[in-house]
This record gives sequence, structure tokens and C-alpha cells, in this order.
Amino acid sequence: MSRRSARKVRDFILNAVTYLSSTVSLAALIAILAFVFGKGSSLLNFDLVVENFESQGFVADFHAGFETCDCVAGIDLPEGSYYSEKWGIALSDSTDLLGKTVVEVDYVHPDSPFAYLHDKGVGTEPIPLRADYDVIRIAFDSYATALSRYGAEAMIASLDANDSIREIEFETKGGGIRGSILTTLVLIGLTLLFALPIGVGAAIYLNEYAAVGRFSKLLRSFIETLTGVPSIIYGLMGLAVFVPLTVKLTGATGGNLLSGAMTLAVILLPVIIRTTEESLKVVPDDFRSASLALGASKTQTTFQVVLPSALPGIMTGVLLAIGRIVGESAALVFAIGTTIKDDVSLTGKSTSLAVHIWAMMTDEPANVELSATIAIIIVVIVVFLNIMIKLITNRYIRKRLGVGA
Amino acid sequence: MTDRTLLSKMKDTAGGRRSDRIAKTVFLSAALLSASFVFLIAGIVLIRGALPFLTDNDGLGSVDLLRFLTADVWLVGATFASNLYGVGYLILSTLFIAFLSLSVSFPIGVLTALFIAKVAPKPLAKVLRTVVETLASIPSIVFGLFGAGVILKLVYDFSMSIGYQSKGGNSILATALVLALMTIPTITSISEVAIRSVDKALEHGSLALGASKTQTHFKVVLAAAKSGIFTSAILGIGRALGEATAVSLVAGGRRSGVSFDLLDTTATLTTMMLEGLKETTGLDYDIRFSVGLVLLVVILITNLTLNAIKRKVGSVHVKA
Repeated sequence: MSRRSARKVRDFILNAVTYLSSTVSLAALIAILAFVFGKGSSLLNFDLVVENFESQGFVADFHAGFETCDCVAGIDLPEGSYYSEKWGIALSDSTDLLGKTVVEVDYVHPDSPFAYLHDKGVGTEPIPLRADYDVIRIAFDSYATALSRYGAEAMIASLDANDSIREIEFETKGGGIRGSILTTLVLIGLTLLFALPIGVGAAIYLNEYAAVGRFSKLLRSFIETLTGVPSIIYGLMGLAVFVPLTVKLTGATGGNLLSGAMTLAVILLPVIIRTTEESLKVVPDDFRSASLALGASKTQTTFQVVLPSALPGIMTGVLLAIGRIVGESAALVFAIGTTIKDDVSLTGKSTSLAVHIWAMMTDEPANVELSATIAIIIVVIVVFLNIMIKLITNRYIRKRLGVGA
Repeated sequence: MTDRTLLSKMKDTAGGRRSDRIAKTVFLSAALLSASFVFLIAGIVLIRGALPFLTDNDGLGSVDLLRFLTADVWLVGATFASNLYGVGYLILSTLFIAFLSLSVSFPIGVLTALFIAKVAPKPLAKVLRTVVETLASIPSIVFGLFGAGVILKLVYDFSMSIGYQSKGGNSILATALVLALMTIPTITSISEVAIRSVDKALEHGSLALGASKTQTHFKVVLAAAKSGIFTSAILGIGRALGEATAVSLVAGGRRSGVSFDLLDTTATLTTMMLEGLKETTGLDYDIRFSVGLVLLVVILITNLTLNAIKRKVGSVHVKA
């Protein structure tokens, strides 16, 4: 009896251990999501996606012969906004995309002298102060300079107390990730352009043409070996092969999007080949026999019968590939570089979303908030792709079973 | 079966039409190209990695291979002025961290797999499988960010509570934990397949002999699935050895000396490759290929060793 109860206790403990172990994955996922969304959601808004990363700063003063405005605001100002009738400008306290507190321009009346500023720098064009810009400081001739860190209310009060300004320093909104989003999209397009034809072609050869034997087995094992290579090694290959190649062909000066996409294409080949082959395998041989028996050539059969039936499987491969491209960082650090840029060009450097995170996190000081915001975007994309893959696979399997029955 | 042979015969005679021949050639070249990349990678890393040992490195003199492999300082002297590079301590800490992370992720991963495959009620198993799949699909950079934002803080607070001043939490412990989180899904999903493919007759036999369900799971099912479970460990360690960006955010960039102190900063072969990659010429750039070569060799040797062990372990029959 006591042996049996000892066994019961032991069984209970062992079972409890399995329960506990499986909570680790759940806890990890919840912790990661909570951290990413908790840290990043405050910066998540539409501006982030369309704005440049680098903000552009200006120092300007009024044009000669300006007049104060004394105008009524033309719009309803948001709460917490301070409006100066004298100058026709509304300011409020805000935080920028990098999480710094700034004084943000809410509104500039069209007749306000701030709407036609004179650039004290190299430019000669009149530059307007626009809503959404951040004011850094306003200096006066014989009055304490109004700094953004004293807040919007103090800045408006200083403005109202003066009849002119010496200069105003302001900057366009920065901290946006438009460049990195664009880069990621370009990389997805280019990589698939390189990898899909080669990968699908290779899969067709292996499954439709190659005789079952040593040669195709050897080819398959070489391709499979690629999956075990760490992505940083792919990066080295990109650096040593594709960067010089694209530099020679396009006149790029270093790592660029083309070399990055080529590197990614090599990483993705085994994925695309495997998923395509798997989907080719489940196309019933009857389809092929029927097509060939009707007099279609092998090529016609492949393109018009086999490939269309395998399309959902190929789609799965494409979605997996997109997920990998979005998440890849180490290979791209080498094959493109880590320069965060706003103007994206095929032959220039710029960062994908994942590399953008890495670049900011290795910078001093690390920008955890914006990184977490980008991570939200990445996680949402990846989870969405996962769901899509599941849907396609489920529907496909059901359809296949239907044909088989 | 007859269908298959007939078709493969058709495959052989498919060279009839001209368009078919062209198509076949195109597909064949795609396959050959895909298969050739593994040689391109191996060749490039081998050649570029060997050059610093064979050439004069623009007057700096060739790097001493033996010293390179055993030294415990990354670089003695100034960058671009010295050839005294060393990765000995990096090799040790890379292996140490990988196995440390595995010692966390392996038991958790395997037990989670057992739970999903055998213990959990069906709906719960389904939920957990989705959780594991989602965790597996989260890119490593996000794990790195989580490590830098959360795990570093936890490790730092822990080290402060025991009166140890760690460098902002950057440590072996933090690195191993990040890697463990990343490898748990890999280990879980592969082990689960292995566990589920265990012959039901074995289980029934064990139950019929009077063993409890739990005893059967632990002594029969796990033992019978050990070959597949071992494979999951090999893949897990491969991922841990090769991971770069996530590790670089929590390791701390140690430049000399092996340390097995869990709260000490560390560096791995991969983090050193990522560090300070600014120039594109000179020895400081070329040496990264040598580090890459060392990394590949380390992964290869680890894989071969573990596979040899697996063959040995796999040949032992189920005892229970």
C-alpha cells in the first residue's frame, strides 16, 4: 500500500513538472508581447510610419517688415494647447517619436509672421513653420530665451511679452520609420524576385524531372545543408560575393539593397524549394498521366497542370519567406550595413525594420521605446503571416483529402 | 507503385520535344545553382578566413594560427596596427553559453513536448501548440530586444541583491536565458513529433504490465523517442551557437579572458564578428572571416560529436 501511494506521489510530482515546464513557453510569449506592446505602443501612431527618421533643423527669423498678426485662430485648438492671438500661433507640450518632451506647433495662422520665416542658414527660400514641427527655442533681443524645456505655456507668454524675435530654432518631426518600412518592402520584393524562380525551378527539377537516385539525393542534401548555416555566415558570403558583385555592376559604393536581397535569396532557397517540393509531391500522379495522355508535352503538363495545383503550397513558401525576410538581422548587418536612412535606393544603404532595431539598440543611448514600437510591427506581421499559412494549409489539406476520397 | 514506375519511365523519355529539353535544362540549372551555394559559402569562408594566416596583411605580418586559436585576448595592440588577434576565449565562452542555455531549454522543451503530446487535455494542447509555434516565429532580434529591456534588468537586480556589481546586467546568465527562450520552441516542436511517433504498442504494453500512465510517459515514451529528442537538442545547440544579433545585445562585449562566472560579461564568436564593423578593408575586416571560419568549424565539430553520441545512445534499447 505504501509503495502504491509513493508511486502516486511520484507521478503527481512528475506530472506537475510537465505542467510547470509548459507554462514557461506561455509565460515567455506573454512576457515578450507585454514588454513589446507596453513599451512600444505609446509611440505607435500613423506619423511614425510616414515620417522620416532624421529630423531636419532650421534656424530662422522674421522677414523685414513683418507685422504681428492679432488674429483669431481659424480652427478649434486641441486641449492643452496655448494660443497667442498676437502672433497667431498655438503651441503645446508633447513628446516626439523618440520619446523626448518637446514643444509642438499645433497651429499657425496663415497671416502669422511665423508662416513666412526667413532661413538664417544657407537657404534663401522662405520657410514656413508648420503644425507638427517642434520648436526648440525662440530667442529675443532683450529678453530671456524661451526654451522648449520650460514648456509651451512659458513660450507663448514670452512671445506675448515681446514685439519681435531675434531667431527661432525648430525642427521637422523625426524618429519615423518610413525609410525602414520602405526598405523592408523593397527587400521582400527583390528577394522573392531572385529566389522564387530559382527555388521553384529547382523544386520542379527535383520532383518532376530528376530520376529517383543518387544524383537528386545528393542535390537535395546539399540544399538541405544550407538550412543549418547560421545567418551571420550568409552575411559574410554576401559581404564577400554579392557586395563586390553589385558594386561592379551598379556603381554602388558599398553594401546595398541589391546585395542584401541576393543574400536573403540564398537564405530562402531551401525554404522555398522544400515547401514547393512538398506541394508538388501531393499533386496526384493521375493529373500528370491524364495531361500527358491527352497529348500535352511534359513542359505544358508542368506549367498548366502541376504548378497550378501546387500553387497553395508555393504561396505557403512565399509567406514563410516573407516572415524570414522581415525578421532577418545578422545577415543584413553584413550584406547591407546599419545606416538608418530616409531616402531608400536600390544601390544605397538603408536598414530593414529588424536591422533598424539592432542599429538603435547598439547605439548609445539605446532607444528601447522606438525599438519596441518597431518590434510590435514585426510581431504583428509575423503572427499575421502565421495565421495566413495555417489557413492556406488547412484549406489545402481539406481540398486534397476531398480529391483523394 | 506501378503508376510511379510508369511515370518515372515517362520522366526518362521526356526529352522528346525541343521545348521540353530546354525546360529541363532550365530547371536543372536552377537546381544545380541552388545546390552550389553551399560550396560557395564554404569556399568563400574557407579562403577568406585562411588569408590572414597566409598573407602578410599589408605589412602587419601573418596571424599565427595556433596563437589565434588559443589566445585569451581579442586584440593585443591597436586596431590596424597589430596582428595579435585571438579567439581562444571566445570559442570556450561560445560553447559554454550554448550548453548552458541548452541545460535550461532542453528539459523545459522536452517536458513541454511530452505535455502537449501526451499529458494535456486536447484543447489545452492545441492552445499550447499555437503558443509554441508563435514563439518559434518571433524573430531573434525581438528576443534580443526583450533580453535587453527585461532580462538585463532582472539579472541586474538579482546581482545587486546578492551584492555583485554587474555591467548593467550584461552577462553570461542573461545571454544563456535569451538563447534558452529562443531554443525552447525548436526543441519542443521536434521532440513533440518524436514523442507522438512512438509506437502505441509500447505504451499499451507498459500499461498492461501495471505501470501508471505517468510512469509510462517518462520511462517508456521518452526513452523510445530519445533519438528524435536528441535531434532536437542538436538543432537547438546549432541555433544557440550561430545566433548573433540577439546575443550581441545582452552579452556585454568582453574583449579578453575566459569567465565562467554567470554574472560576468561575455562575448561569443558571433558577437565579436558584429562588433565595430566599420571599415571594409584591412586585417580588422578580414579577421572576421577567420572568426566565421572558426564558428563553422566549432558548429561542425559539435554536430559531429553530438551525432556520434546520438548513435551510441540510440542503439541502447528501451529498458523500462
